[in-house]
This record gives sequence, structure tokens and C-alpha cells, in this order.
Amino acid sequence: MKIVSVGFVDEEQDPDVRFVRGAGRYVDDIKLEGMQHLYVVRSPYARARVLSVSGGITGNELKATMESVGEDAGGRSTVSFPVLSASYVSYVGQPVAAVLGGDKYEAADKADEVDVQYEPLKPVMDPERSLESEPIHPGTESNLVAAAELGRDFDLKAPVEVEETLRMERIAPNPMETKGMVASYDGSVLTVYASTQSPFSWREGLAGSLGLKEESVRVVQMDTGGGFGSKGGIYPEYVVAAYAAMKTKRPVKWTESRYENLLATNMGRGVRGRMKVYADRKGKLKGLKADLLVDVGAYPLGGGAWTAKWIASQLVGPYAVPKAYAAAKAVLTNKVNMGPYRGAGRPEAAFFMERMMDRIADETGIDAAEVRLRNATTRETTSPLGMEAPPSKRFFTEALRAFRYSSRKKKDKVGLSFFMLIPAAYGGESAKLAVEGGRVKVWMGGSSHGQRHDVFAKKLVSEELGVPQDVIDFQHTDTGAISGGVGSWGSRTAILGGGALVEASRNLKAAAKKNLGKKYSPALLLEGDYEAEAFFKPKDMLNTLGANLATARLTKEGNAVVEEVLSFYDAGKVLNRFMLESQVTGGVAQGIGEVMYEHAVYSEDGQLLTASIADAGVIHATEMPKSVVMTAAHRSTLPHGAKGVGESPTIGVPPAATRALEVLLGRRFTTLPIEPEKLWAHDLPGRERTR
Amino acid sequence: MIPPRFEYAAPKSIGEAVGLLKSRGGEAKVLAGGQSMIPLLKLRLAAPALLVDINRIEGLDYIRESMGFLRVGALTRVATLGRSALLERRYGALHDASLTIADPLVRNLGTVGGNISHGDPSNDLPAVLLAAEGELAATGPSGERTFRAEGFFVGTFTTALAQDEILTEVRIPVPPHRSGGVYLKVEQKVADFATAGVAVQVSLGRGSECAKVGIGLTGVGPTALKAKKAEEAMLGKKATDRKAVEEAGELAADASSPASDIRGTEDYKRGLIRLLVARGLERATQRARRGA
Ligand SMILES: Cc1cc2nc3c(=O)[nH]c(=O)nc-3n(C[C@H](O)[C@H](O)[C@H](O)COP(=O)(O)OP(=O)(O)OC[C@H]3O[C@@H](n4cnc5c(N)ncnc54)[C@H](O)[C@@H]3O)c2cc1C
Repeated sequence: MKIVSVGFVDEEQDPDVRFVRGAGRYVDDIKLEGMQHLYVVRSPYARARVLSVSGGITGNELKATMESVGEDAGGRSTVSFPVLSASYVSYVGQPVAAVLGGDKYEAADKADEVDVQYEPLKPVMDPERSLESEPIHPGTESNLVAAAELGRDFDLKAPVEVEETLRMERIAPNPMETKGMVASYDGSVLTVYASTQSPFSWREGLAGSLGLKEESVRVVQMDTGGGFGSKGGIYPEYVVAAYAAMKTKRPVKWTESRYENLLATNMGRGVRGRMKVYADRKGKLKGLKADLLVDVGAYPLGGGAWTAKWIASQLVGPYAVPKAYAAAKAVLTNKVNMGPYRGAGRPEAAFFMERMMDRIADETGIDAAEVRLRNATTRETTSPLGMEAPPSKRFFTEALRAFRYSSRKKKDKVGLSFFMLIPAAYGGESAKLAVEGGRVKVWMGGSSHGQRHDVFAKKLVSEELGVPQDVIDFQHTDTGAISGGVGSWGSRTAILGGGALVEASRNLKAAAKKNLGKKYSPALLLEGDYEAEAFFKPKDMLNTLGANLATARLTKEGNAVVEEVLSFYDAGKVLNRFMLESQVTGGVAQGIGEVMYEHAVYSEDGQLLTASIADAGVIHATEMPKSVVMTAAHRSTLPHGAKGVGESPTIGVPPAATRALEVLLGRRFTTLPIEPEKLWAHDLPGRERTR
Repeated sequence: MIPPRFEYAAPKSIGEAVGLLKSRGGEAKVLAGGQSMIPLLKLRLAAPALLVDINRIEGLDYIRESMGFLRVGALTRVATLGRSALLERRYGALHDASLTIADPLVRNLGTVGGNISHGDPSNDLPAVLLAAEGELAATGPSGERTFRAEGFFVGTFTTALAQDEILTEVRIPVPPHRSGGVYLKVEQKVADFATAGVAVQVSLGRGSECAKVGIGLTGVGPTALKAKKAEEAMLGKKATDRKAVEEAGELAADASSPASDIRGTEDYKRGLIRLLVARGLERATQRARRGA
């Protein structure tokens, strides 16, 4: 067990700490001959008719619409999302035109050359009132994007019945590096240097929007300073920049400011869950009903069409319940699109369910851990909502032991959460190895945007091939170098990319053996020229389990804060402990942010009120609780034994921390983030006295 | 930062700087530490045609006591206040406040003059000046003027300074024996602006009753506020008098007019004022007893 402090780099494990030394190479570091800068002119209104637009590149010229690709893809919607709107706008920050300049300053000044006449309309801001409001998209019948029913409705009388309306409000992903790209066109191939989680999705999306063949688009990933889901699909700005490069036959760079990033990047969460649970007096679940509402924002592109159903399918979590029924709807509002944010639907499901488990504990007077254990499972199950889950009882018993739960509960204000992590294993992942000049180049179909995938990649390849790690060169994904791939999100890369690396290594070794026969050795391998690819698709379910414990205390002014977070995750075989702990530590910070600080707040007329990184609520090291990271090493069935872990902390921390604060203050919390005054222990007018 | 185009001048004297400001009318702005000005420029909320950088002007960076006043030069960095032993000993409220402002990076650049001239109701130093009965000196085209802190903060982002006047010095009367000051601030996250802040300055009489009381409030009105009724109510009372202290808190809360925003609701901010004023009176008195 080791405590990781935020921001430390272990020089011994990683002598090449180039990011900390300022030697990373990001999109904004690229300078190409003749390069121009693109500035995007955006709607100042949440909803308006565009009466006229002139100057720069406008939607009258570029009539393209957006494609739903990558992590955002799936589901269907009749609403199309224009790259540049020439008829009406649906959120503050929506692109309406673009201008080019010799540098960023000139480009921004040229925005004055664009003239847009708007007729403002009353925006639809409250998802609860979206369905009764006028459709925000002309020509559509309602603001309903998707509706799903899972399981079968039922009638039940149970000794314990608890209802609650729970909310996880919208938050901005806020990666350290904002979005950006450079596009360059040589007359036949469009090359795009990208800050991305998925070059292959970009290729598909850009080719689709611009009507190009995929072969004539190459997307090269640069060092990418965080994404958290926001860089897994594509945005209108990318299409405009690519179009501008093709039109002018000169390279074009587009990078955004923090302000633009906050205004016009897909946001996460924004989900309401009306939950009802039925249980007996011993705390055993008898039934679960849920009514979910997802605020997808203006265009259902960032996963808006499938998120409602996806959350609903996970609600039962790691427990057994005989009856369950969930109805889920996704609706439009005049906000920037909803999109995946670290966890993407998993945290919402876990928060809703875990809050209800705590409610059952309160109603029955049974300890919160005990209630959970009583509903945990001893064999693999498929929930009435259709989700497969591994047996959970043994793991949770282990977790409680690791937390020293009984003794912690006696001395601290403690919150607990149990959850299941469903990695985005669908679609598999690719890897490629190339031996040349005594070195091994390594690619995966989806690559690091801050996770340091190079560390496990080198380890796995070195172990498989028997070559030392220092002859291995890790490459970011390049659609020109590897024949196919998916992307990095959904706790998938270590398991799928890792599996593909193992397979590609074995393919490479086989190719070398064919050539070298019995005299094969790692040294001889390095003397030759070999290439191998693999596309890895796991056969077994990879859903895994996790648990968190949090404690809370009061500051001297009476504000409640989270003091400590313990994480106990089944990450399978740990590929690199330091990297795993770093991943989890960052996720704990985001989990705490979500509980207490992070929030995207809009005014009634649709202006974003949290348009700086400070106001958006990103925490500092000073707000970080003590974090202890532990793992249960139950190997997966994959060749390298790994399981997913990237999203575990944003799933498990919010319910555990919320509960710890609830226990400390004796107040019930149903909405995240918890408002500052609700975390203040002192009395306020209109608030019932607390203990 | 992608600001609009502007001209830039870095004069070496106040006279020159004032001349530049006057010659360009409302088009010119002073640049001191830049910690409020640059955020405005980068968001293009401000677009001055000329920035007059006053950082090259010598003799505006000092902390000293003379002729009955603590005198702090307008270009003194907030970080310097935090390192001053004199302030720690005798000007507790100013010392405390300087340590709660933003983060070390901002404090290393941000100046005392800029913190006050900006007229931001969320900045921490104005409340300290109001509590301590401070004064301000400024130089304009027709020479020097002095202002009392009370009345200086006219509205949100507006002070009594004319466009072509430069704040040069901040003054606080040297407190009598048995005086103490404190600044208390609740911020949502470290380095954030105050959800609410309170500056308290007391001088004790013979029986440890309050002979003089100053209370300033941060972040709960269109400007920093002076809680006069609360000050008066404490006169002749002791900080150990729970009822008196709570009443002062109540009066200060009544005097505030906070807006509900992302940092909290109006009720919460008033609640904080109530708590912080009461606690501030107690702590300032403790310091006064120790002679701080
Ligand atoms: C992230 C961040 C957090 C912050 N948090 C806090 C906080 O918690 N508490 C707090 O009090 N402040 C905070 N600030 C503001 C900071 O203290 C600024 O430094 C201060 O408000 C302005 O001082 P400056 O010297 O930087 O002035 P500048 O930004 O250079 O100028 C500010 C304004 O004052 C005018 N001005 C400056 N000097 C003079 C002068 N001598 N005479 C006339 N006019 C002048 C300028 O023209 C301009 O209009 C924060 C700032 C940042 C960036």
C-alpha cells in the first residue's frame, strides 16, 4: 500500500520524464511553412435565428454536417448538426463562421470582418421542461431524442420502499491541453495532426463530413494533454480547419483558448434519476424502478442518442435484484452537446444505485456495508435490465477487510461505495510492431492522452520478445502507420491495446522464427526487418469490480470536506503499479471535484456562467484528500491478465464521498455537486436544525 | 493570451505616466501587476488603446511607518506584505489578508495599488482599509490628492480615482497600544476569491472593552463595505460578551447585500458574515491583548 502524491514523477521508473521537462510535443508546438491560424466566430445566443451571415467561411459556403464517430457514435437521430450554421443556432458558442490570419492575434482580430444578424429566441434550458417546450430544431416534432424501457414493469408491496430523485449535474471535462489540430493538404492527401483520443475516429469523421475517401485522410496523434472523453469524437472546428487547409492549399492551425474550450466542448453528466427501491426488513432488495432523464444539449452527437439506455442498463450494478424496470429518456436543451466524460454513464448509474443502498441502510438501521453484502452475488449474473456482472460478494468482503472497515467506522465519518466497471471492450483494438535498424517501433490503435501507455506497452513487448525495453520506441497512433484501430476511452487501452500488443508480439516472433528457424534469439530478431499487426477482440466478459471508502471532517469555519479516500479496485494483473496509482489519484481528484466543486452553470438565457477553469471548479492539490490506492489482483482471462481501471475512481468516489459528507453533517444529499451552503455545518434561515 | 491590439508605454516617472494617461483620455489604462488587467484583456472585456506600464517607476515599492502612518507604496507586491515582520506584529488584518489573496504566483506580481484601484468587491485589501480607517494618496495632472478609504470605493470596478490619476500610497494610522486586527476569509477552494471575507480592527480600553472598532466586508456587496452599525454596537463592549459579538455579526450581515452566485446563496454568505464578524472580534481582541 502506497500513498501517491499528485504530480510526482518517479524518475527511477521513468527516466524520460519529458512532459515535466517541457519536452512534450503538442499540436500547438507545430509550425509548418506558410501556416495560417483559424479563428472561429461563435454564437453569443443560446437560441436564435440566423438572419444573415457574411464574411469569412460561413455555412453558406461549407454546407457540411457532423458525423457521429468514435466514443460518441451509436444510436440514431434525425437532427443534423451543421458544421457552420447559416439558419439557426442552438447553444452559446456554436460555430457560425471562421476566419484565417497569419498568427493567432490577426485571426482573432479578423473576427470583426464577420457580420451575423441574429433574431434571438427563448432558449430551452431546463431538461425537465424540454418535452413540453417548443422543439428547438425547426421541422422536428419534439425535443425527445431517445426513449428506452428496460426490464419489465411490476407491482410490488415491500416492507421497505424508498424513493428519491437524484442528480448529477453537468460538468466540463477540462483537460489541461485544450482542443486543437493542424491540417495540411498536398492536393491528394489531407494530413491532420491532432490532439485526440482516436485518430481513426477523426479520419472517419473528417472524411464523412467533407465527402473524402478515408484513404485520402491521414490523422497523426501528437502528445495529447488530457481528454477525459472530450477528444474521442470530432467537433465542427476540426472540419472547418481541414476544409480551410484544402481550400487555401496552405496548412491551417486551430487551437482554442480555455474560454472557448469551456463554451464549446461536449460536457459530461447532466442526468436525473428518479429511483425507487423495494426491500425487506433485512435490507434484501426485492425490486428496483428507475426513471432517467438525460440532458443531451443541442445536438445528440456526443452519445446523446444512446446514453440514457446505457445508464439504465447498468443500474443494478454488482447486486442481485429479482425485479427491475427502467424507463429512460434523452431530451434536447439549448446547451453545448452532452458527451462522454471519464466514466460516461457508469458514474451516473453507480451514484443512483449507491445512494439508494445508503437509503435502505438508513431505513432498516442496518450497517451500510452489511446491506451491500447482503445483496452481493456469489455467481455470475445477468440483471433484469440485461447487464452481466461477475460474482461480487467475495470481492466486497476483501475490500472491507482492506479498508479495515469496522474499525474505521467506529472512529470516522465513513462513506462506502461498491460498483461495477464495464470497460468499453466492444470493437477490440489493434497493435503493430516493426523491427528495423535494431529497434522495435510500437503502435496501438488508440494511444495515450495522458495515461502514459508507453510504460505498459514497452513492458509487454519486452516480456514477449525478450528484447530490452530501451530498444522499444513507443509511437502515438497514426492512421498512416497502422491499418486500423479504435481509440482510447472507456478503461479499454490497457486491456485491449495490451492484448493486441501481446498478440502482435507473438505474430512478430512467429514471423522471425519462420525466417530464423531454431537459431531464433532476441538479438537475431533485432538484426532483421520484421513487421506484425494484430487486432485483438476479447471473447469473455471483462466487467470488473471496485470499492471506495471516504471519510469527511469539518474545517474550522464549519465547512465539510473529504479527508481521505481509499480505493480498492480489481485491476487484474497490475501492469505498472506507479502508473495505476497515478491514474487512480487523478480520478480521485475528479471524483472529489464532482462531489463538491465542479459544475457547468448556465443562466436562464443560456449563457455559461462558469467560463473559466477556476469557476468551472477544477480542484487544486490543496483540495485533494489523502488518497490510498489498493488493488485486488484477480487476473483476467486475457493473455496479460489485465482488467480496466481508468474510470473506476470517477465511478466509485462520488457516492462514497457524498455518503461521508452526509454522515458527517446529518443531511441528505441527492444532487452533485453539493452546493457550498449545504456543506456548511452552521444553521441558516429556513434550514432545519442539525444535530 | 490573445488580446486586441494595444500600444504600450513604460514611463520611468509618475509625471510622465500621468501625462500619458491625460493625453489619451479614457483610452489609456495603467498596468501594474497585470493580475486583473491581463485577464480582462485576454477575454477582450477591456480594449484600451494604450497600456501605461508603471512597473519601471522607482520609489513606489516600500513598507514603512512614519508620521503616524503605516505607508505602503502602490507598487509593493502582495507577496511582500506577507513577508513583512512589521505587518505581522502590528497590522494583523493586512498581513492576514495578503496571505489569503489568490496563490503565490498571483501574489508575486499583483500589487497593493492594483488590488485597491481595481475596485473589485471581491478583492481582499479594500475591506482591510475600511476597517483600519485607511487613507490613499494619488497623483494626477494637478498634483497629489488624498482620500479616505471610506467613500473611495464608489461602485463595482469604480473608485474615486480619476482616469488620469495614479494611486501612489496606501496609509493606515499607526494603531494605539492594545490594538489588534484580523482578516478572516472563507473561500471555496484555496486561491479562490472570497465567498465572504471580514476585516476587524479593534483598540481596547482599560477594562479590555472595545474603545475603537473597525469592520470591513469583502464579496458581499457592490463594493467592499464598512459595517458601521456593527462597529458602533461593539463600542464599550467586550469580545467575551457573546451576546454583543453575535449582535454585531447580525448587524454586519444586515449591512451586507450579497448576490447568490456559484460561490453560494445570499443566505449562506450572510451566515458567513455573521460567523466571521463574531469570530473576528474575538480574535482581534486576543491579538490586541497580546499587543499585536
Ligand atoms: C487567479 C487569480 C486569483 C485572484 N484571487 C484574488 C483574491 O483572492 N483576492 C484578491 O484580493 N485578489 C485576487 N486576485 C486579483 C489580484 O490580487 C490582482 O493582482 C489585483 O486585483 C490587481 O493588482 P495588479 O497589480 O495585478 O493590477 P493590474 O491588473 O495591473 O490592474 C488592475 C486595475 O487597476 C488599475 N491600476 C493598477 N495600479 C494602479 C495604480 N497604482 N493607480 C491607478 N490605477 C491602477 C489598472 O489600470 C487596472 O484597471 C486574483 C487574481 C487572479 C489572476
